Amino acid sequence: MSNELPTAPEGARDGAHDGDHRGFVKSPADMAAGLFLLAFATFLYWGASDLKIGQLRNLGPGLMPLVTAILLGVFGAMLLVQSLLTHGERLQRWSLRGPVFVLGAILLFAATIRGVDFVVFKVPALGLVVSGPLAVFVSALADPQTRIKEAAIYALLLTAACVMVFKFALRLPIPLAPWLLGY
Amino acid sequence: MSWIYDLIANLGFGMGVALTPTNLVLCFLGCLIGTLIGVLPGVGPIATIAMLLPITYGLPPVGALIMLAGIYYGAQYGGSTTAILVNIPGEATSVVTVLDGHVMAKQGRAGVALGIAAIGSFIAGTIATLIIGALALPLTKMALLFGPADYFALMILGLMFAVVLARGSVLKAVAMIVFGTLISTIGQDQFTGDERLTFGWAEISDGIDFAVIAMGIFGFAEIIKNLENPETRDVVQMKVGRLLPSFAEFRQSFPPILRGTFLGSMLGLLPGNGAVLGPFASYTLEKKIASDPNRFGNGAIEGVAGPEAANNAGAQTAFIPLLTLGIPPNAVMALMVGAMTIHGIVPGPQIITKQPQLFWGMISSMWIGNLMLLIINLPLIGLWVKLLRVPYRLMFPSIVLLCCIGIYSVNNNPADVMLTAFFGLFGYALIKFGFEPAPLLLALVLGKLMEEKLRQALTMSRGSFMTFIDDYNKPAPYLLAVAALVLIVAVLPSMQKSRDKVFVE
Repeated sequence: MSNELPTAPEGARDGAHDGDHRGFVKSPADMAAGLFLLAFATFLYWGASDLKIGQLRNLGPGLMPLVTAILLGVFGAMLLVQSLLTHGERLQRWSLRGPVFVLGAILLFAATIRGVDFVVFKVPALGLVVSGPLAVFVSALADPQTRIKEAAIYALLLTAACVMVFKFALRLPIPLAPWLLGY
Repeated sequence: MSWIYDLIANLGFGMGVALTPTNLVLCFLGCLIGTLIGVLPGVGPIATIAMLLPITYGLPPVGALIMLAGIYYGAQYGGSTTAILVNIPGEATSVVTVLDGHVMAKQGRAGVALGIAAIGSFIAGTIATLIIGALALPLTKMALLFGPADYFALMILGLMFAVVLARGSVLKAVAMIVFGTLISTIGQDQFTGDERLTFGWAEISDGIDFAVIAMGIFGFAEIIKNLENPETRDVVQMKVGRLLPSFAEFRQSFPPILRGTFLGSMLGLLPGNGAVLGPFASYTLEKKIASDPNRFGNGAIEGVAGPEAANNAGAQTAFIPLLTLGIPPNAVMALMVGAMTIHGIVPGPQIITKQPQLFWGMISSMWIGNLMLLIINLPLIGLWVKLLRVPYRLMFPSIVLLCCIGIYSVNNNPADVMLTAFFGLFGYALIKFGFEPAPLLLALVLGKLMEEKLRQALTMSRGSFMTFIDDYNKPAPYLLAVAALVLIVAVLPSMQKSRDKVFVE
């Protein structure tokens, strides 16, 4: 499938380390996966540790979260052990541009649509008129093929269409431009 | 034979509901949107339905569900168009259609491939509608036998199926199920009201909305993943050609369509998203029984007809566990539960008696929807081809904005949008660490219900686990036995090999 395509620079860079003696860890991907599970398991076990387990005939609120957190930790540990024993895949490369711009766009939308007032972090309520183009334009930056002018115009057109459909046709109670229109 | 008369009477009653002008329009809209997102690779029914949930607030409940159902089975039609013309599956369920469908298109038989896919889907849709109608009453009666222990056992079975269906390591799939169950416990305890794993954050004390997690993992994480691998869309440039298959081609495809319908319907019934397996099973079967298996992969029309019938039939029968038992077998059905909850409808065996107009109206609308899809897909094919030329650099920012608006509107809460971004990152991490998110999502769907049934069952049995295995008049022991068997088979090395082969092929 298409998501398995290795990129040229990656292959070239890792080529030097390839071979049988990859050191102590035989499957870095499984090792990372195991650590990932263990981290979540520990955190959530700690979070649920003060809940009551109850008795068998009257199970408490803590039983399910604690049991599943322990199991998750066990599976994480098994993956860790497996990564030391059997050869497996190398760690996949994480891209930075995609997550930063796509998730950044979403967070910007969330912060500006109704405003934020969190300790020192203050954003006025800007409404869909601003949040919309912002989300489209910033997320478009995630793709190297994006053309700035095209993305800017598209952001405005798409927001206009969304305002028509969601605000006027479907009457969703989403703020439009509180600073200008009052709603 | 009175059940046949009952079936006809019930479907006729449903037709009366489905044929009202509002419901017709909503059914058409659903099918149209379904085709649209089915054609577009990278947008699936999960993200779309999550996006459209808030819009259904203002609709009448029957119409809302008719529309959402149309999106789901409509996407199965649309997915085949992309598979045949572009060589990439528009939906996960049209993966196999690529194999022979695209070869047919290269041979200049694109029209025939599209035609037989649509006709096969229509026949499958018609038969599946009848199957749902016929099985509904007996299954609803059977559901009344189900106590908490049996429900719990059935859900365990569903989760085991999800393990078998996931690709890659069984260990990772089981870990995903545990993880999903763990996330499902976030929020207030249903029995005692204790805050669980909320870390004092009021926004999640009601639990995390399923739409938020589904959109994060299946909407945003997918986008980020797609951006890493710039796709090359090689839309077939030649003419689509005649759409209607010749009589000989139709005769050749008819038995595969029937077999595909049967396989797809049966697999769709399974809790645990068996519907995705339908097309694979159908393709494998057709290849096995063909007189000349070498034709497969070289433009065999049976390789398009069978799997397309199977995926459409499976998409429809997947409604049965939801409507009769109240157990959603996959993420789309879980979103349907959300849509029902919005309108105060509790899914389960009582729907058929308490809301017959909803139950039969929805089922009858499926046949009408299939008829509409035939029209939407075949004559309008040129429109969908044009749509495929929209570049991804414009498409994905649109999805981002629509998802943001949709998620915000579920509760009019910006915090939900932020959580979605978090789950987008979480989903991306899962993909990078080689975990398949589907079992996690299913466990998330079933987790709350499973815990509820477990606690009820143990309270009723005064704390004895024997309640799950010692009453042979109840389904629980048998369901658990099958679940154990399924897990053992999944772990067997031979099964792992053949499973990988199925997905690689």
